[in-house]
Amino acid sequence: MATEVLWWIFAAIVVGTSLGVVFSRSVIHSAIFLIGSLASVGAMYVFLNVEFLALVQFLIYGGAVTVLILLALMLTRMGAGGRLERANGPQAPFALLVGGGLMAVLIGVAVRTAWPNNTSDTPRAISINQVSNGLFVDYGAPFVLASALLLVALIGAIILARQEDE
Amino acid sequence: MTPFLASGAIFGIWNWTDAIIRILIIVLVMTVVVVYLTYGERKVIARFQQRLGPTRTGPAGLLQGLADALKLVAKEDLRPATADRWVFEFAPYATFIPVLMVLVVLPFAEDWGVRNLALGMFFVFAVLGLNIVGMLMAGLGSGNKFALLGGIRAAAQMISYEIPLVLSLLSVAMIARTLDLNAIAAGQSFTPESGQHAPYVVLQPLAFLIFFTAMLSELHRAPFDIPVAESEIVGGYFVEYSGIRWSMFQLTEYASMWAWSVFGSVVFLGGWAVPDTHTWAGPDWAWQLGITLIKSLAWIIAIMWIRVTVPRLRIDQLMSFCWKVLLPLALAQLLANGFILEYDGPDILLTLTSALGAVALLALIIFRAVKRPKSKLVGTYRQVQVSTP
Repeated sequence: MATEVLWWIFAAIVVGTSLGVVFSRSVIHSAIFLIGSLASVGAMYVFLNVEFLALVQFLIYGGAVTVLILLALMLTRMGAGGRLERANGPQAPFALLVGGGLMAVLIGVAVRTAWPNNTSDTPRAISINQVSNGLFVDYGAPFVLASALLLVALIGAIILARQEDE
Repeated sequence: MTPFLASGAIFGIWNWTDAIIRILIIVLVMTVVVVYLTYGERKVIARFQQRLGPTRTGPAGLLQGLADALKLVAKEDLRPATADRWVFEFAPYATFIPVLMVLVVLPFAEDWGVRNLALGMFFVFAVLGLNIVGMLMAGLGSGNKFALLGGIRAAAQMISYEIPLVLSLLSVAMIARTLDLNAIAAGQSFTPESGQHAPYVVLQPLAFLIFFTAMLSELHRAPFDIPVAESEIVGGYFVEYSGIRWSMFQLTEYASMWAWSVFGSVVFLGGWAVPDTHTWAGPDWAWQLGITLIKSLAWIIAIMWIRVTVPRLRIDQLMSFCWKVLLPLALAQLLANGFILEYDGPDILLTLTSALGAVALLALIIFRAVKRPKSKLVGTYRQVQVSTP
């Protein structure tokens, strides 16, 4: 019961902060709302018994990605007076198009999917040992390939960023 | 019961009141600890500098912390006209909440914490990543260039140092074969079935050094106090704060120092456990609390000792030290641990490889310290030489 109430509270927080991301007039406020939204999604994972995923959500999306967004905003979008530019450029209609299209696709898929309406199919608790066995033993090769891809991307980014030094 | 929550669900209806009571106790203890840490830090540093420190307020200045707290609460809470109101006002809370969340998983004695999570160690560094957000909010919301610089420095430094920090903790977790903080502490005491009884600082001295360095950086303590350097950017991301909000930042700083000390002593020094003893006269928890207290106190004194000994680094030195020295060593240690543990090498091999790395790290630092610099301008500073008009 208490879990259910808290679940709905967090769901409301996710929706509210997501609306905040879209409707804020300043980019910084959007980024901060985004942190709230992603962290609340992480909190909802806790109720779904996928605690590892919840913590990864906090670490990657709450900590790293949004901090990166904030840092990039600080370094690039600062106006002359130390205030930030407003986020209403000429690309707003395209953003509307992309966002609306994505929303239509997602809602369409969600409505058309035949969800297994079975209460015994609730998520089970997955231990970290199972996660690591799946990641490093069962799917070891894709994992190594993905890490190689990331390494290449990292080296490429460094090469691109360092070119002006020459 | 999920593996995540070794002692029942957090919000299960049977024990949520218990969780709230434990959190309240932790918050009260934390407040007292922080008040006396500020006093203790002033006393310790004063002794290092051949002064007396606070002596006037109460016997031996013992009431100094309380007097400071009262003064801060009574001060006017100013908000600059250029500040972004909500970002500015919420920043102290966003900085403080992650530290409070870390306190939830710390075991102060065997199973004496708010909750004992099976993923405790992972929880600590997942939640502490959110700490940066508050500092960035403070830097951005203040409408002040010094605050902005402090925020950028804090974010860059903390993101970079999180990587060697996490890697050094992972190399301990590999040996412990668990992320549960209570189990990690227990693995460092003598139990007949495990047979493992050396603290992880003995097995992994390099990880300990890397963790300690990265922790100083995460805490913004000297020599890594670049984001809050008074003489460079007049105090960093919280320049514009005063009164109660400033004291929230101060509270966060000392509370996280305490939290990191307890966490570090659990992971590396054994926390409430002592090698080769598992029976005591009297109640176990009293001894265990005392042992945790002594270990974390030693840890805190070491932090203060380093603060008064070492001068502040420059930001480019800080970054290159992290990426070129700490990160490769941490990765090498992870790799060595993997080989040794996979092929069931003896414990002494872990100690030897790690000690070799630790000696290499110390030798590098000493070599760099005594080497004469080639030019006066080094690193990135070479690019910003300005010709005088």
